[in-house]
Amino acid sequence: MSRNLNKLLNYSLLKVSLIPLMLWIISSLVFILLRVAPGDPVDAILGSGANEVSREILRNKLGLNESLINQYFSYINDILHLNFGQSLSTEEPVLNIILKSLPASLELGFFSILSAMLIGFPLGFLGLVNRGKKTDYLVRIFGIATYAIPPFWGAMLAQLLLSVYLNIFPIGGRFPIFQQQPQITGFLVLDSILSNNIIYLKSCLYHLALPSIMLGLLLSGIFSRSLRVNLDKTLRSDYVNAAICRGISRKKIFLNHALPNALLPIFTISGLTIASLAGGALLFEVTFSWPGIALRLHEAISQRDYTLVQGIVIFTSMIVVSLNLFVDILVAFLDPRIEY
Amino acid sequence: MQNKFFIFSFIFLLSFIQFSCAPKNNSKRIIVASSGKVESLDPARVTTLKSFQLLASLGDTLYELNSNGELVPKLASGMPIVSDDKLRITINLKQNIYFHDGTQFDADAMKFSIDRFRRIGINKYILGDKIDFIETPSKFKLVLNLNEPSSSINALLTSINLTPISPTFYKDYSDKFLNDNFIGTGKYFLSNFSNEKQLIEPNPRYWGVKPKNYGINFIGYENSSSLYGALKSKQIDVLLSNSIEDIQRNELNLSSKENKIKEGVAPETQITFISLRTNIYPFDSLNIRLALSKSINRKLISEKVSYNLRKPLRNIVPPIFKESNQNLWPEYNPKEARILLEKEGFCNGKKLNFPLTYRSNVPSDKLISLIIKEDIKNYLSDCISIDINGVESTTMYKNLSKGAYPAAIYDWTGLYSDPEAYLKPLLSCSEIVENTCKDGESVLSGSFWGSKQIENLFRESDSMLGNNRLNNLLKIEKIASESIPYIPIWISSQRAWSQKKISEPIFNGAGIISLSDLEFLNE
Repeated sequence: MSRNLNKLLNYSLLKVSLIPLMLWIISSLVFILLRVAPGDPVDAILGSGANEVSREILRNKLGLNESLINQYFSYINDILHLNFGQSLSTEEPVLNIILKSLPASLELGFFSILSAMLIGFPLGFLGLVNRGKKTDYLVRIFGIATYAIPPFWGAMLAQLLLSVYLNIFPIGGRFPIFQQQPQITGFLVLDSILSNNIIYLKSCLYHLALPSIMLGLLLSGIFSRSLRVNLDKTLRSDYVNAAICRGISRKKIFLNHALPNALLPIFTISGLTIASLAGGALLFEVTFSWPGIALRLHEAISQRDYTLVQGIVIFTSMIVVSLNLFVDILVAFLDPRIEY
Repeated sequence: MQNKFFIFSFIFLLSFIQFSCAPKNNSKRIIVASSGKVESLDPARVTTLKSFQLLASLGDTLYELNSNGELVPKLASGMPIVSDDKLRITINLKQNIYFHDGTQFDADAMKFSIDRFRRIGINKYILGDKIDFIETPSKFKLVLNLNEPSSSINALLTSINLTPISPTFYKDYSDKFLNDNFIGTGKYFLSNFSNEKQLIEPNPRYWGVKPKNYGINFIGYENSSSLYGALKSKQIDVLLSNSIEDIQRNELNLSSKENKIKEGVAPETQITFISLRTNIYPFDSLNIRLALSKSINRKLISEKVSYNLRKPLRNIVPPIFKESNQNLWPEYNPKEARILLEKEGFCNGKKLNFPLTYRSNVPSDKLISLIIKEDIKNYLSDCISIDINGVESTTMYKNLSKGAYPAAIYDWTGLYSDPEAYLKPLLSCSEIVENTCKDGESVLSGSFWGSKQIENLFRESDSMLGNNRLNNLLKIEKIASESIPYIPIWISSQRAWSQKKISEPIFNGAGIISLSDLEFLNE
């Protein structure tokens, strides 16, 4: 056992040691791509009417007249000191902007994954129970269709139908316009619970419902399909047949033997899905005016706010890389078949 | 039977969500929505329409333009007094006016605000080096000493960027921005600020007419569809946006005609035009520029793209600044365009290559380009080959001055209400070599066209006032219309819409809505 733990520790250390390299590659790519991309933060801030003198003054102030190599080294040096710099357009520290927007995105991401699981798992199970029947085919079609729908199109359709025509859900935002939102942790659901205010809780869940259920619905296909396929494979495996022959009850076989093994690949898929949320949520946040980190990134790109884009991309990369690392180690720990 | 049960349950669930979860707005506050966020409420930093709108309610300027475009004193007690040499402008200020923090508004506060803007203002180039220094000979008298006579300084005094702020409150922010708060003298004070949502309350100590409502909640939505949907589904009371798409703008206009909502229209101040790079082939030829100008069917563009909500334009100075509405640029005439092109050796086998660049993130720009392309195909297909190309606006603005685009569509709104705010940014040039501008605004606008005659007229107009100055500026426009470095397409105005229960939004001459006049009509 201790030998196994040592091996796992070595495996984890190897994985962790790759993180700085990955982050260096990502941050360098972001730096190069932003500089290669056409457009200039000075034009985004001043517009087309400013004269060359004003542009030059602002360019100097923002440090954009330094040589690229100097800009790069000062940028890498800042990152090493966990200093993401100041936003070029607002002069606010990038880390502050990220920390202000992050709770909104995490809240949306959490509830979306929760919805995806709540929708996807029962459907996957329903398909398996009715293998080869009409329900199974319908669940499969649902899985493929939700996976295939572009998130922005799904979001716009849901908004148009449920918010504009039926007026059931709000058009966008995190909290009613006419109420002052609680400000404790930035996670509004949690803040409403902490402030013991049921009206606030109801209000923020009401605003959260449409984007999170819709995003969850679009992600649920992956969960239903993977559960259906993995559970099916596990239930047909030799060790399940052996357990049946030994006379173990079907319920016990399912819960103790089949399900845990079928869930292992789903852990990995969940990690990847959460990582893909970083990109997929962008258009969702734009459509629903959800003030999260993806919306900030969208605005920063259009304003050519180099420091903010770099900060958000590196911060998001850190989260994604750490999450994948965690999932890899967890799966390696849980699955004895994995060699490390 | 089972299916019916499920459908019934689903509808019940949705209705339950709607009636039990939807928070009820029982307040008497008005909800105003517009696009995007408010990044800053600092007068030295604001650049967006929404921020200007908010600041106009939270603060007062020295002067204001009324809906007829006339200068009206606001914090000033009378019209500016200009010295004989036109280098000193004396402004007497109103007394007994207080900032939201309780300190008194006086000449020192005004000097502090203007000096701060000149030091750190993002848009400080609008003042340039017009002001040499500012004096405050008495508590309520302000004297602006100019470097040279400037006739546009009066209009600049209406700029929201020069809204006075409390020197006491901004003591630690005299050289940096304060983005999330504002202390001015306006009808409202700021009670809550986030980038997405701002709440303003009536100022009980306001010196002038009090607001007609109990406060305004501002909300920003990220896209045109959300804004349109929010007004349609009555989730907001007033929609104020310049960036709403033309098809939705038309829908709202139709709804207002059917009396389902109310519509307010601002004076037309935004011009859209094609900038032609005049220092290279083929647009260095006046005949070709003239031919292109005659090939643009502005009426068709206005009808197909904007549903006639934006007016065809054949000038570069908006009509509200002029007494007569004479069209200076040549009208649509493909036959004459063909003759001109033939003179230059095109048509009958040789086509003029017309590369037209538009801003890909502005939907109407692409539609304008497509209409021009199709119309030219119909009438001048053997003379002109048009090649349209989209680039993002930020990229276009950066590359215009580098001469990257032989022809580019974009728009311009004057930063202050004066013909000069349209003519100078498009036509002025500090270094001219044989009608080519080497350095100056005309380079930044992508036309590279310069005229010494125009520069002389600009200088002359700085020492003129009233109608003489206006006529002088219009001479400049006339010269430009004969040389065609730009082809104007249309002029548009801001619009705002309100629900039936709210009074109609009314714009002032600078395109700002008077929020304090918005009220619930059934009260």
